[in-house]
Amino acid sequence: MDVRVPEIPESYQGYRSRLQAFIAANLPELSFKPKVGLRVPDEPEDVVKLRAWVRALHEAGYVPARYSESEIDEIEEKIRVEELTKTGVPHALGNGLVAGALKHFGTEAQKAKYLTGLATGEHIWTQLFSEPDAGSDLTSLQARAERDGDFFVVTGQKVWSTWAQFSDYGYLLARTEPGTGRQGISAFILDMNSPGVTTRPLREITGTTDFNEVFMDAVRIPVENLIGEVGQGWAVATASLSEERGQVGQSEASDPVVDLMRLAQRSLRPGGRASADAGIRQKMGALAARSRIHRYLSYRTQTKALQGQSELTDAPLTKIWFSETNLDLCELGMEIQGAAGGLAEGDSRVVDEGRWQDGFLYARAWTIAGGSNEIMRNMIAERGLGLPREPRG
Amino acid sequence: MNLGFDEDQELLRSTNRRFLEERHPITALRPQLEADSNFDRAIWREGAELGWGAMLIPEAFDGGSVTAQPLVDLVAIAEELGRVLYPGPFLETNVVADAIATAADENQCKAWLGPIARGECLATLCLTEDGSPDLRSIGIEAVTDGDNLRLDGVARFVAQAHETDLLLVACNTPGGGPALVLVPTSSEGVSLRVSTGIDLTRRVCEVSFRSVVVPAANVLGEPADVEGRLTRIFQLTTVLQAAQSVGASEQLFQMTLQHVKDRVQFGRTIGSFQAIKHRMADLWAELEGARAATWYAALAVADGQPDLDEAVAVAGSFVRENAAFLAGESLQLHGGVGFTWEYDVHLYLRRAQADKLLYGDPSWHREKLCQAVEIVAEGEA
Ligand SMILES: Cc1cc2nc3c(=O)[nH]c(=O)nc-3n(C[C@H](O)[C@H](O)[C@H](O)COP(=O)(O)OP(=O)(O)OC[C@H]3O[C@@H](n4cnc5c(N)ncnc54)[C@H](O)[C@@H]3O)c2cc1C
Repeated sequence: MDVRVPEIPESYQGYRSRLQAFIAANLPELSFKPKVGLRVPDEPEDVVKLRAWVRALHEAGYVPARYSESEIDEIEEKIRVEELTKTGVPHALGNGLVAGALKHFGTEAQKAKYLTGLATGEHIWTQLFSEPDAGSDLTSLQARAERDGDFFVVTGQKVWSTWAQFSDYGYLLARTEPGTGRQGISAFILDMNSPGVTTRPLREITGTTDFNEVFMDAVRIPVENLIGEVGQGWAVATASLSEERGQVGQSEASDPVVDLMRLAQRSLRPGGRASADAGIRQKMGALAARSRIHRYLSYRTQTKALQGQSELTDAPLTKIWFSETNLDLCELGMEIQGAAGGLAEGDSRVVDEGRWQDGFLYARAWTIAGGSNEIMRNMIAERGLGLPREPRG
Repeated sequence: MNLGFDEDQELLRSTNRRFLEERHPITALRPQLEADSNFDRAIWREGAELGWGAMLIPEAFDGGSVTAQPLVDLVAIAEELGRVLYPGPFLETNVVADAIATAADENQCKAWLGPIARGECLATLCLTEDGSPDLRSIGIEAVTDGDNLRLDGVARFVAQAHETDLLLVACNTPGGGPALVLVPTSSEGVSLRVSTGIDLTRRVCEVSFRSVVVPAANVLGEPADVEGRLTRIFQLTTVLQAAQSVGASEQLFQMTLQHVKDRVQFGRTIGSFQAIKHRMADLWAELEGARAATWYAALAVADGQPDLDEAVAVAGSFVRENAAFLAGESLQLHGGVGFTWEYDVHLYLRRAQADKLLYGDPSWHREKLCQAVEIVAEGEA
């Protein structure tokens, strides 16, 4: 056994200092405060600034491994993520899920154009999977794509489409055969500026506006924008979805367990500091254990991946552990503050600028999106443990 | 990156599993449940050939491990012994061996380590009066008597003392600090009472010391390093307890999974009800977490990693509590048969509950975990 994270060699200090200098010179000043999760700015000017920032990063050679077709130095990637995460400013825009789909199923021309666009910030993407009547039961989606010469004509409605209001492209699932089920679903690249596409932003419980409704009315998509073969959409989607689940909770700006302890050390209760309260300490201890175990479980999944022994249940396992522990940590963060835990961002006396309350509200994104935790439990029970499948209505 | 057993450790594990399936299946426990003696020395001696007592002992004294991480090797064996609720003082004997080996007094090593490694000597831990790992709970007082020490007092919750040859005893010294001494179980002045416990497959004893004379040669290490040795002892008990309970949980989980696949009610297998599917998924997910925590703690102790205290406290607070929860759920999902004496589920439930409370209950370890986090928080500030 060995899980030591290799020390970063002295020779990489130059890379880090250059990157730090670059950040100091180029980091944009935004009108909003950085927050956890996949969040979208309210102001179009912020999006313009963010695109320029991502482009500058790309031009200076700071490209995410995910969007790169060539080999990326692992240590440089680690330093890059570390330093950029620290800034709190997004360094990749939109939903990048399509990258995995393109890598596995895309044509050379698609890879060349869209992977580069993702990396340079020129293209912002949204994921157009969910529909009003197709959430957990994604295979019942009804958006129709009918072949018409060199085009597919798409009509239907999507919902919960994060970043769609500022997106250039959509990673779309639509039905090329009528009916329900996995068969007959195809994956497309949708130009969001096509005639017939209407986007209507929705406001979330967090008060921010991250996702949207997207209406498609006889939208023409050229056939070269098909990802994979006609009818292969489900395979394309599942490949990229498990990648999304596996990534949940992988890069955090700070250690949530240490943050919680520091909060308790600063918070006063009637008898003294919250960090000296035995009841609070027991709760912190329980969550610290769960949070660390999430880390150890990710070592387990990495080990299995390296040995070519990944299992279908790996991503659901870490997704459940991360999302439920994260929710509990945020709730305890609020409890530690006492009644002041009920304040929120905007109040002059709110603790840590309201990050615990925002984190608490946003935590539900992780328990619902990307396959709800109930669906993850079905997957574990059915695919992992071999229990009978849920009957279909 | 490898958080998992390597090939040699997998082999060690499968060899032990086969041996236990043959020589000590769970059915072997039945005749012993209410008998005076609950332990078969012949099997221990055979197990010794598979390394049950040898991993933490240097080769020079007949020991030897499979890999360069002896504690991880031992975890592979511990999981298998836990799976069959093995009653012997496996954990305690190994911890005593480690205490002697790390004190590294040539004569003591010669006297004790060979017999332990060969399976001729079994040992256990007389540490505190309340079974906790808190040094304030040491219940034995030592006074000097010429070159010797003389012990008076009691240690409780001593695993399987009635089946052992050697006791590792923690006592308070006139100088103030604690000392660790070796006392043969048959020494004059040592008396045992086997407690009636909830765990039917392993006994704990009350061990009383009345004017027990301990020669200076049986004192382990220097007074200044005793607290460090005790810390190490409790790191090992935590890791090995966790490994045994992961093995037991895995076995019980598989039994329960089979049961919910077989049992039919309302015209369908009970495992097709989502209420049960989701509980099984949760039990599985938590068991995966318990295993990862156990392996990580073993690794951290084996390599002396900087986050060792944290890793041990994570395992100590989570793994056994989870095993006890899993055992309760398993019983519930078995229904009425799970409530019978004849079915094995209660043997696992009883072991899990007793284990959870020994060598530091989960609350104690959660407090330790907070202390470890405070040190990290200070370091980063
Ligand atoms: C913040 C956020 C961002 C999102 N971003 C995107 C995006 O960018 N693109 C996109 O396409 N989608 C996105 N989604 C949609 C997300 O994938 C769906 O919300 C999710 O799949 C659940 O579908 P639903 O909302 O229709 O809930 P439903 O499927 O209606 O589920 C409602 C409840 O019923 C439970 N349930 C459903 N079926 C079962 C079952 N078989 N067994 C047990 N319980 C069941 C669910 O777990 C849930 O608790 C986003 C969602 C959120 C919250």
